[in-house]
Amino acid sequence: MFINRSVAVDTMDSMLEAAIWFWIPLILVPIGLWLTISGKAKSFGKILSLSGLILVFISSWTVPSSDSTAAGHLLLSVLAPSLLLAYGIHGMIFGGNVPVGKLDSTARWSGTFAVFISLTILCLMHWYNFTPLWRDGEINPYWIVFWPTFLLCSTSLCSASALALVSFGDNRLSESMKLASLSVMMAGIALSAMIFDGYLTTSEEFRDYLWLAAADILGTVIGVMLAIGAFAIVIWSYEKSLPIPNNSPPPSKDEIKHVVSIAESHIGGEEE
Amino acid sequence: MKQPSASWKLLALAAFLPILVLVAIDVSLGDKIHPESFKRFGNAILTSYVLMGIILIGNLFFYADSRHRPFAPFVGMMFAIAIGILIAWALISNDDLLLEANSGLRSQMLSNVVHMLVSGTAMLLAAVLAIGATFAMITGRERRALFEEEE
Repeated sequence: MFINRSVAVDTMDSMLEAAIWFWIPLILVPIGLWLTISGKAKSFGKILSLSGLILVFISSWTVPSSDSTAAGHLLLSVLAPSLLLAYGIHGMIFGGNVPVGKLDSTARWSGTFAVFISLTILCLMHWYNFTPLWRDGEINPYWIVFWPTFLLCSTSLCSASALALVSFGDNRLSESMKLASLSVMMAGIALSAMIFDGYLTTSEEFRDYLWLAAADILGTVIGVMLAIGAFAIVIWSYEKSLPIPNNSPPPSKDEIKHVVSIAESHIGGEEE
Repeated sequence: MKQPSASWKLLALAAFLPILVLVAIDVSLGDKIHPESFKRFGNAILTSYVLMGIILIGNLFFYADSRHRPFAPFVGMMFAIAIGILIAWALISNDDLLLEANSGLRSQMLSNVVHMLVSGTAMLLAAVLAIGATFAMITGRERRALFEEEE
């Protein structure tokens, strides 16, 4: 009886710790973003979401007993290449011909270099000893979720972007081909991971998770579309239920007389 | 003005074709469909539906500011989300239909949220790469004069 009770207390403690150090900070991130975007408390919102994000990042140290914190650990692990990618993309866009906020033309080259370095780091995380390790030297279980999803999604989006670029613009074939090459490159990385073993994962494991990543992407897209559809139905049915606004009464004789006098003063006048 | 030659259907095909090709290569390497794929698909639909619904409820506050703060859309969205949670609860707890390698209903639901956090980050990063590269290609072109007066 005592043993069962102590086990229950321990479980409750670990749940409470996970709630305080992982789940509540995770909830604070969107709340802070909402406060920032809505303009109700911009500074407070920024501080709230930033502190929530930092607590999620370090959750694998603050509450190591919780399995959920592996996600926080993974996000921290991919933070550096993600920031480098964002920096590179910013340089590539604003180093070109933009009317506002134009950077030095070298920013375009340094940006391209930064994007390729960030992709190289991600590849090294799979094929070299940069792989994110979590408990007892084991690989972070979410790495094998993140990596195939990123590769599949970027291949797919780059392919769609290439088609969109050539379809919705004039003489953009060469730019479209560059985007298609990026798509092929990402597909090539995915193919390599399907054939060659990673540092701590086998190619067989990667191929297994490729199915799950495809299921994840497809499911997420359908789920998001369903939610947007439900939102549209809710708003449409509310707007439809609103009464038609009443017509304003016709103008009185005095009002007509007043309008006519104003009109006459503008279009009238003596002939020269 | 040039008419767009590609429809949204073609764009959707361009998006899903690379995934299908990679999966087809996977099959040609002798692999079979992962047994947990359907469960992952179902969990991804329900989780993204509920989470996106919550985000859209946040968006309702902006809508309410322009409509004398009506209560009906808020209740409607809460109802829509409740249906999503109810379906998730029914399918996870009933006959192991959507239960993955987790001990029970609560751990599966929490695991779904954490999984969505990771896969959502991966998709977001991929979107940054693809959309950013697209804009970089557009801004990388030589500036052309739209009218003769500009020259």
